[in-house]
Amino acid sequence: MNPAIGYTALILVSIATTMIGFYGLRVSRTTSDFYVASRTVRPWWNASAIGGEYLSAASFLGIAGLITISGIDALWFPIGYTAGYLMLLFFVAAPLRRSGAYTIPDFAEARLDSSAARAVTSVLVVVVGWFYIVPQLHGASLTIRITTGLPSWVGAAVVVAIVVLTVVTGGMRSITFVQAFQYWLKLTALAVPAVFILLMVAGPGTPAPLPGGAELFPPAGPLTADSTYRTLSLMVALSFGTLGLPHVLVRFYTNPDGAAARRTTLIVLGLLSIFYLFPTIYGVLGRVYLPNLAADYTDATVLLLPGKLIGGLGGDILSALVVAGAFAAFLSTTSGLVVSLAGVISQDMLGGSVKGFRIAALFAAVVPLGVALMTDSLALAGSVGLVFAFTASTICPLLLLGIWWRGLTDAGAVAGMLTGAVLCGTAIMWGARLDEGAPLREVLTQPAAWTVPAAFLVTIVVSRATKHRTSATMSRFMTKLHVPERPLAVKDPRG
Amino acid sequence: MSIGPGRPPSKGRVRVSAPRAQAAHIPHRTSVSDEVAQQSDVGELMVRSLIRSQLRLALVVTAGFIASLLLCWGLVRWIPTFSDANVLGIPVPWLVLGVGVYPVIGTCAWLYVKAATKNENQYRDLVDEK
Repeated sequence: MNPAIGYTALILVSIATTMIGFYGLRVSRTTSDFYVASRTVRPWWNASAIGGEYLSAASFLGIAGLITISGIDALWFPIGYTAGYLMLLFFVAAPLRRSGAYTIPDFAEARLDSSAARAVTSVLVVVVGWFYIVPQLHGASLTIRITTGLPSWVGAAVVVAIVVLTVVTGGMRSITFVQAFQYWLKLTALAVPAVFILLMVAGPGTPAPLPGGAELFPPAGPLTADSTYRTLSLMVALSFGTLGLPHVLVRFYTNPDGAAARRTTLIVLGLLSIFYLFPTIYGVLGRVYLPNLAADYTDATVLLLPGKLIGGLGGDILSALVVAGAFAAFLSTTSGLVVSLAGVISQDMLGGSVKGFRIAALFAAVVPLGVALMTDSLALAGSVGLVFAFTASTICPLLLLGIWWRGLTDAGAVAGMLTGAVLCGTAIMWGARLDEGAPLREVLTQPAAWTVPAAFLVTIVVSRATKHRTSATMSRFMTKLHVPERPLAVKDPRG
Repeated sequence: MSIGPGRPPSKGRVRVSAPRAQAAHIPHRTSVSDEVAQQSDVGELMVRSLIRSQLRLALVVTAGFIASLLLCWGLVRWIPTFSDANVLGIPVPWLVLGVGVYPVIGTCAWLYVKAATKNENQYRDLVDEK
């Protein structure tokens, strides 16, 4: 690929991002502005921003890459990512918004009245956030290496630098605008080249012949116990992992009330559904037209396909668009995570001031940069899937049981989170060292199907055993979570 | 502190003013929303019933969603009429999993939002009755 394409795309996205970030700066002045955009963001803006933040490297590059490897089975990834929002809508969106907490640790403390539970939640949220940022940086490294030929570390470093700059200067208000812009950029960047590619391949006139008698749609592999388990476990991880992602949750606090949080989620589901139609097109065509990609380059399918199928200036422009979209994906997810992690770190360790938020943002971004530089990239969709499994095993039980079950105690929540973290963490690390075909490999590399129920079970059993520790304010807090806002508002004294 | 346009009125703010002399003579009537606010037994009962109905709703829609996913999976895996069929050159399993699932998700979400709002409105009506 012509390096000029990569540079142009990168520079354009960076300029657009920082411009919108600075434009937002003019309206964010108070601490509350910095943290949650003063809770006045409209549902459409907010939904676009959530979509922008959620569609990460795994969605933009990873799904298409996975389709080239595993065919139709990879389609469960986007279904799972979307189903996660469905679960979020059903069980979490409105009550969480009404809880009035800024971050998940805030929620834990308010619900359980325990600073120990808060501390454990904070640590887990930060760990989840860091490990979610790492694949984004791997994606950036891959993109930079392929498009410009620069060394890998440049991509990760550029993304971290831009994110820290926007977050530190603008806080969340500007992030909301940046994210909303980046959703539409990502959608355009996938959709427009896809239309041209489809016209090229299947349009009227001269349909390009399939190279080498390849088959566009490979039949599904044989149904084995392993593949069934893998699909089910993946769906558990993705559906219940989304609930606990810190950058997704912090977004819901920017809705004015619980009903708006629901409306926002509904719009998000629409936006995600439209987006996820496109990676499939790239994956299917990439398998046929880019058959010789090395295994660790399959995630680049989306980046390479437009240039491969459409030559000349048109191909260059479309390639630039796709690269720009990819960078928007890395930037938006990373900045969303950095904002939410900075919120957690600064509130728990630095007193919650604006200065503390800035220091925390730097800290939140630099650690995963170090991890990303020291580790090798896995398949993006797969490594993000593991983060979902971890979140589903730790934060999901806290949220679901905290919102819907009066019996949850601080001891139960902590025990459940630690069980989930230890089981899931061990399984992932152990499974990664096993060879293909080793017994129990599937069970360990895709652990959500058993670690999530185990975490729930431990949470419930320990809560039952420690009934006396039920928070004294639990009842009032449950009322706050579930009662629609208006009737509880203090009555207007003039009325 | 800046107050931007469109900022919703603070919910927790209470006007502090001198007590009105006549106010004490108005016989006190307890509305249900006061009971909710005061954590009385009646209020507590109503909140519990609201939570139960919202949870039941969420679980029912989830079950419906899982059932329809399993149905999709079963269709494309075990029913040859579907798994071998083509529409416009695209195999039906790819269409179902790549496109068809999303309208199902959207429908579930829309139904849920409608029903959850209805539950809340019912609760409101009940509470606002004096």
